[in-house]
Amino acid sequence: MKILILGGNGMLGPWAVKAMQDRHDILLTDINDPYPEYTGKFQKLSVDDVDGVVKAAKGMDMIVNLSVLRPHRQIAFDVNTMGNYAMMVAAREHRIKRVITTGPHFQMVGQQYEEWDFDLNPDMPPAPGTRLYAHTKALGQEICRVFSERHGIQVITLLYYNMKHSWNLGGPEAPVVYHEDMVPFSTAWQDCGTAVRAAVEVSEERLASKNEAFFIFPDLPHRKHDNEKTRRVLGWRPRYQVERLWNKDSRNPESHLTEAF
Amino acid sequence: MNVLITSAASATAQIIIGALGGMHTLRLTDLPGKTSGDIIKNELGHESETDELVTGIDAIVNIGYQGQSGSNTHLMDYHTRRMYNLLQAASDAGVKRYINISTLKLFQDHEENLVVTEKWRSDPPAEDIELLVAHMAEYVCKEFARDRLIQVVNLRLGWPFIGDSLAGSDDTAAISHGMIGESITAVLTTEDLIQWQDIHVQSPVDHQRFITKTAARLLPELAGRLSS
Repeated sequence: MKILILGGNGMLGPWAVKAMQDRHDILLTDINDPYPEYTGKFQKLSVDDVDGVVKAAKGMDMIVNLSVLRPHRQIAFDVNTMGNYAMMVAAREHRIKRVITTGPHFQMVGQQYEEWDFDLNPDMPPAPGTRLYAHTKALGQEICRVFSERHGIQVITLLYYNMKHSWNLGGPEAPVVYHEDMVPFSTAWQDCGTAVRAAVEVSEERLASKNEAFFIFPDLPHRKHDNEKTRRVLGWRPRYQVERLWNKDSRNPESHLTEAF
Repeated sequence: MNVLITSAASATAQIIIGALGGMHTLRLTDLPGKTSGDIIKNELGHESETDELVTGIDAIVNIGYQGQSGSNTHLMDYHTRRMYNLLQAASDAGVKRYINISTLKLFQDHEENLVVTEKWRSDPPAEDIELLVAHMAEYVCKEFARDRLIQVVNLRLGWPFIGDSLAGSDDTAAISHGMIGESITAVLTTEDLIQWQDIHVQSPVDHQRFITKTAARLLPELAGRLSS
């Protein structure tokens, strides 16, 4: 499959590329230069450049939008909102049947949900609130929904929250803390990437509608959020369960009988 | 009351300015290049200029549909980012009420015989950029209301706007200039509103398309002029 990836040089991009590069024909785009280790096709492109995205999407079977910008007011709207608009215009222009967009879980699960409820699932009506990152991403998702309803474009939205390195369960922004109150929506980077592959490859028959969202995290015991749909529909099986974050078993047992008796 | 009106150079704003001018102290604003006379030019950016624009304002009347023109990306940017900036500044400044002027055209694809009210989900067409961005402006407003940062009235007006002439026989959603002015006057002062309030308004015409009972209930001074 020929896949256009937008915003591919961020945090998630390399893991998505790793999961798909041997199975699909990828054109990676980003406003920044690619990582030196990347050897595939690349085009410099800002995701809010509507005409540029339309041109890059010509001949593609699918578009995957991994772009994200959080803190800056202007650029957050340019990337998170206008980026999805550009993607959907391109999909409509070239009759591309499926697009995949990504974002933080709170573009759907805003404070209204998160501070009150459990078993939160990706089929709830979005309630992002006004936090800049969540709000701008939610606007992008809404644009996708409208285009999907009008033009029959399959939209798959993958929602993430806390990404972890598999080797120590630390994140890029904070050191690892074991046995404390973890984010109950944490996922290893490798698994974040394979979720994109699962969304690319899932058959249309398995999707209940033209606009489907999925929470991407492994089986966690909190029951704050619900990943059942992701496993059932996408068939996604995370390799890492980030268990050391929510289980107090000793990491350096004195012997093989530790906790056996 | 001190009222800020956005997109003040637009035709819709001019109708509203004419109606409110004698009753309230108006502050008018629009993007640079569209300003003249008393209209303050403002980009609605996230810097202090927007904060200053809303200082001392009690209510904002925002033209959320057909207040601006230009490229698709300009319209999308205006009705998302700039609306966010304005609402954020207004919330920070303690502005009490934000009236978003939207359109009943968001329901135009529903069959005419359906009893469409505020409880129906709107259906914006992706191919009509003016309606798509009107929908997006509503979305931005609703999240500010959801977070209880400001009270928002989303006033969806019928179409076409008719001045002195009578509505044509096909204009089953028409609204008169007078009704536009009266409805906004009433919305500015009514007290019984929840944090986010959709209100549909059109003039009483033959084969009236949209139900206006919510407007009649919440805006009693308008009730006698609406279709019962």
